[in-house]
Amino acid sequence: MGWLPWSSGDSNKSSDGGRIAPDRTSRARCWEGRDHFFACLDRNDILDGIKNDKEARQKCAKEVAEFEEACSKTWVKYFKEKRVMEYNRDKTIERIKNEDAQKVKELKSSGWKPT
Amino acid sequence: MPSSLRMASGLFRQAIRTITTLESAQSQRILPFIRNTSQSQCRAYTQAQRPRCQNIQTALSARNNFSTSPFRARAKTMGQMRQRNSTGPFSWKAALLFVLTGAGMVIYFRVEKARLERKRIAELSKGVGKPKVGGPFNLVDLDGKEFTAEDLKGKYSFVYFGFTHCPDICPDELDKMAEIIDKVRAEAKDDKAFLPIFITCDPARDTPEVLREYLKEFHPGIVGLTGTYEQIKNVCHQYRVYFSTPRDVKPGEDYLVDHSIYFYLMGKLFDAMAMRWHADLLIDPDNDFVECIGRQDTPESATRVIMEHINDWKREGKPMKTL
Repeated sequence: MGWLPWSSGDSNKSSDGGRIAPDRTSRARCWEGRDHFFACLDRNDILDGIKNDKEARQKCAKEVAEFEEACSKTWVKYFKEKRVMEYNRDKTIERIKNEDAQKVKELKSSGWKPT
Repeated sequence: MPSSLRMASGLFRQAIRTITTLESAQSQRILPFIRNTSQSQCRAYTQAQRPRCQNIQTALSARNNFSTSPFRARAKTMGQMRQRNSTGPFSWKAALLFVLTGAGMVIYFRVEKARLERKRIAELSKGVGKPKVGGPFNLVDLDGKEFTAEDLKGKYSFVYFGFTHCPDICPDELDKMAEIIDKVRAEAKDDKAFLPIFITCDPARDTPEVLREYLKEFHPGIVGLTGTYEQIKNVCHQYRVYFSTPRDVKPGEDYLVDHSIYFYLMGKLFDAMAMRWHADLLIDPDNDFVECIGRQDTPESATRVIMEHINDWKREGKPMKTL
């Protein structure tokens, strides 16, 4: 039972049957929890908070608890997946850049000049 | 681009020519000289040829009589002569005229080129044989009133598709949207010409009441729209927005709307594909989609793009609803 509406039953229902979304303050709180948790993962060299759930919970027990209290389950899962995705994306971009640089180097050594 | 530049340089040359004709009074000074030479040539001719020469002479003097441009006053002093020789056919007036005409043309062609380019791109997205973005839809606004594509007509609409339970991207984009709204309205000096709209892709949870509370935190001017599952699916389809909201959700079940897309597509593809989803769509008063304001845009660059379109529209004298 957290302090957020969605973790305490039906109080997050709006009077016309909708579901009240987190407001600006609770979003900020959630993001803060996420940042603390990810900083801890970085310190412990853990990338995937889902795959290495056990290890993460062991090493970042306090941060995990705060993160999960401040954000809904789907958000927690989303942020963990996004972290992996962004890491892979940046790696891919870096790899492509390096390959390009390598190619240019090779071409230059074989007498080609960039126009 | 090269063709318009060629045209500009052609006009430049024409301008130079005009300026030199303005100064052509000078060339009149050469006339007496020509007359003298023809006279001396005549003296060398035989008697038989003489009348013809005289004819030329009369013709020359006759032309002189018809000429309306007066001879330039002869220089009276050596100082005047020297000055005239040093400046040649150019005076400071001619130079100024030249520079101003040139600068004016450069500015005009730049502005016009940019405008035509924007128009071409806008026309392209309306294009023939391309999937048309946009079309009729039926939704309800936050007061429960019906809102259709007709309500977009006569103003530039700025449409964002999102949902209130969106973890991080939508709130960021909506903060940006709020900034853009204020900037555009301040620049356009018209509150009604620009209509920001938020269409939810999660109608099951985003009822008018939820939407109102949510949008209030960003900008009071954003029009929130919702509808039935089918209506939302239709409008997302019309605007080519990726739609993956689960149809049957157990009450109270927590879910995310679109983000499966993030994890199917890795690396560069992800950015390209997610572009439209988290982009604001700019729609002109004829309900044609003109531009995608993406996540890479800053509020400043977005405002500039929107203002260019609004100003073009006004300059072309097309009607705009200001009610």
